[in-house]
Amino acid sequence: MNWTQSIFKLIEPVVPPRFVIKRLLLLVPVLFGVASVVFAILHLAPGDPAIVIAGQRASAEQLEQIRQELGLRRPLWEQYLGFLWDAARFDFGQSYSISRGNSVRSVIADRLPITLELAIYGQAAGILLGLPLGIISAVKQDSLTDHVTRIGALTGISIPIFWSGPLLILLFSTYLDVFPTSGRIESTLFLPDTWTLFGRELPLTGMITVDTILLGNAEAFLSAAHHLFLPAVVIGVYSTALISRMMRSSMLEVIRQDYIRTARAKGQGAKITLMKHGFRNALIPVVTVIGIQFGTLLGGAVLTETVFGINGMGLTIVTAIGVSDYPVVQGTVLTFALLFTLVNLFVDVTYSYLDPRIQQ
Amino acid sequence: MSSGDSLDRRSFLTAAGSAAAAATLAGCSGDGGGGTEGGDGSDGTAGDGGDGGSDQTLVYARGDHPENYDPQQTTSGEVAKVTNQVFDTLIQFAAGSGGQLEEGLATDYSLDGTTASLTLREDVTFHNGEEFTASDFKATWQRFTQSGYQYYLGDETRSGYGPFTLGNWIESVDASQDYELTIELTQRYAPFLRNLAMFAAAVLSEAQIEAMGDNQADLGSEPAGTGPFQFDTLDNPNERIRLTANGDYWGDGPNVGTVIFKTITENSTRVQDVINGASHITDNLDSSGFQRAEESETATLLRKNGINHGYMAMNMARFEPFRDRQVRQAIAHAINTEAIVNQIYQGFATQASQPLPPDVLGHNDDLDPYPTDKDQARSMLEDAGYGDGFEFELATFSNPRGYNPSPVQTANQVKSDLEDIGLTVNINQFSNFGPYLDYTSAGRHDACFLGWYTDNADPDNFMYVLLDPKVEMDAVPDGQDWVSFDTEGYSTLNVSGWANTDYMELVREAQRTYAEGDRETMYEEAAQIAYDESPWVFIDYAETLRAVNEAVVADSYTVSSVGGPYLNTVELQ
Repeated sequence: MNWTQSIFKLIEPVVPPRFVIKRLLLLVPVLFGVASVVFAILHLAPGDPAIVIAGQRASAEQLEQIRQELGLRRPLWEQYLGFLWDAARFDFGQSYSISRGNSVRSVIADRLPITLELAIYGQAAGILLGLPLGIISAVKQDSLTDHVTRIGALTGISIPIFWSGPLLILLFSTYLDVFPTSGRIESTLFLPDTWTLFGRELPLTGMITVDTILLGNAEAFLSAAHHLFLPAVVIGVYSTALISRMMRSSMLEVIRQDYIRTARAKGQGAKITLMKHGFRNALIPVVTVIGIQFGTLLGGAVLTETVFGINGMGLTIVTAIGVSDYPVVQGTVLTFALLFTLVNLFVDVTYSYLDPRIQQ
Repeated sequence: MSSGDSLDRRSFLTAAGSAAAAATLAGCSGDGGGGTEGGDGSDGTAGDGGDGGSDQTLVYARGDHPENYDPQQTTSGEVAKVTNQVFDTLIQFAAGSGGQLEEGLATDYSLDGTTASLTLREDVTFHNGEEFTASDFKATWQRFTQSGYQYYLGDETRSGYGPFTLGNWIESVDASQDYELTIELTQRYAPFLRNLAMFAAAVLSEAQIEAMGDNQADLGSEPAGTGPFQFDTLDNPNERIRLTANGDYWGDGPNVGTVIFKTITENSTRVQDVINGASHITDNLDSSGFQRAEESETATLLRKNGINHGYMAMNMARFEPFRDRQVRQAIAHAINTEAIVNQIYQGFATQASQPLPPDVLGHNDDLDPYPTDKDQARSMLEDAGYGDGFEFELATFSNPRGYNPSPVQTANQVKSDLEDIGLTVNINQFSNFGPYLDYTSAGRHDACFLGWYTDNADPDNFMYVLLDPKVEMDAVPDGQDWVSFDTEGYSTLNVSGWANTDYMELVREAQRTYAEGDRETMYEEAAQIAYDESPWVFIDYAETLRAVNEAVVADSYTVSSVGGPYLNTVELQ
């Protein structure tokens, strides 16, 4: 228990450990619920894993043998308990189809960094554009700039990824041939499995832009950045729109506060007042939105990855559902749920730190 | 609250701002890279090439990236595209042919009674350095089908091709001599030599099988055969595979040093990739891709008659009106298959007239597709006592398949055509193919769309596999030409429940007949019966289409309707 005590000691000045423990315990019923729903849906859905494994040519006897081997003839409650026990150990067995013979764990380990990388870049694009746009819009309220920004933000929120993605591909890839249509790196560039640090071989992260930097391969890095640009923009547009709207309303609220007027009355310059007193305080609710938004970006990855053919968690879920690869569906959905809840936990903890009233 | 806490929060907000800026900069650097990358994959910057090929890189774009390349663990054509480069079979389909056999790892082969005798090629080595001998084939067969074998793949791991290709037919294998193989069959079985040419019968290395021990399922990530290309890199996160030339290959080529299989799911994007020159060859074209390739100045469209069949099966075991031959014929007359192939399939399929496609032995040239004649169809329904019509379910899958590129549109055409003769069709659309197969193989449909790509270009692969119920002859009641799906031994590949004993006798006899002329006659007769009885509406035979970039030397790549792709012969400009 020493390491947990150390962690709590570390976070104590920031946020009370009891609050974190309470939030962590709340994760259990959430994940249990998700696991149960996933199990129920997949067992109610039509489709026989034996046919997925053996294919159309298999005989009835062969299919029956496979059903027995997989335990599909056991009572449902027994299968359910077995699934929960395995899920608690994050063991979902082997993929039936998309990565046949490999464990679902290894599938997730391959795919998760890809999705995280995409979400991080999308978030970066959102923050980069969303914050300044929100501030400008608030400061120049009801001006032409404000109207354009607001309409732009509304449009950004309203355009679905499955429409904007193909449109951008059509424009920038097909007609202008400026960006590649799909993938994460030039098809002829291959990276090694490991990188070397002080003579020690270490595994790569799976995030291709990070890996190419670790390997010191500039050509590969540029290729990876080139490939990721459009998907990050597509994800970033939605994020930008949301962040700028939030920033604007928060900023508008803050700049009407007494302390801003006092600062100005004391002779402080408008820009300094705005950035030092206005921006910082207005950022608090925006940080929350950014955190929650990160979870949504993971969901947005399902669409973005499908449109851009990027083999992350999102495309994996879609493909696994399409070919009835149930262990992969279960594993990836639960991983998404776990990530989403962990991100929300982090946001809650951060927010409670920024505004201690929330701990009550 | 202490001032210290307050300062901490300020520091946090400052840090948050800095992190945002850092992330922003990272985003900017991505932008910067954009302008410098040309995106032309044909340069071949990677791949140092094998000894046998040049240093050029051939890029093959496909729509899916399976992650296991063990020919015994899959039924996927996407896997076969790769394993056909890495492995050889004893006998193989000639490149660019419609299924003609030629020497593979066996230089001489014959089938006499229940004995297949093969002389094997000498001085062939596997990519792992082991010499190829008869015992490799024996180990391959045992791993795939013999549960008593120490390295048996396992019921839940091997594909359905195990029994289908080898297991049901092979009694024993004598590999006592290194370069002579004698295979005893369980019965006379004419398609056997063709089965040996199927991708699932690829010869594995006995040494590798033994080295895998209890981890046989892992062979799919490091396959080592005797083929023209060696398996080099399996890059699952980026959905790519890199193969390098096998300098010791016994056959033609290879003429390039590296082959890369890349994945682009979207059909139109994949074709665009070939037009742009980032890929050299692609397959599974839909109608828009087909047109774009045809109109392109930098790519050509190669087409060949396919050995496949898309059909609508009428389930006699479930739906009573279908038990009447006149009703089935009336439906065949009412459905405008010409409009389906020309308008919906945009002309890259031809109208079907019988179960066997044109390039297969036994295709009956005297049979023409049912002419569309709705007046005749109405009168036939009248004669059958269904003048007031009836209502039935038509099950269909949703995603395009080669033999039916627009299933939902096709279903709507059928619905509209049959409405004209007073029949009501309720379309039951399945979004996933797996559950769909589950549904149809359980016989729960009234009528359904299905299709078949040949495994071995043998007539038996259509006529017996799809239309013989495989029950005992005496299980079919007198005067009845259907059986229920729960009849003992019933093969659910026959989704119409059709059990015509005249037809069954013919195709079973043809399966045991080795004289090609006799077989041909039997299948022609069987095709006539199927035509007259119409258990299916024969819809189309789809063409095999490939888009090829101009960088590929003309005629160095040939499209084959079975086997391949033959990338060993491909040359780049």
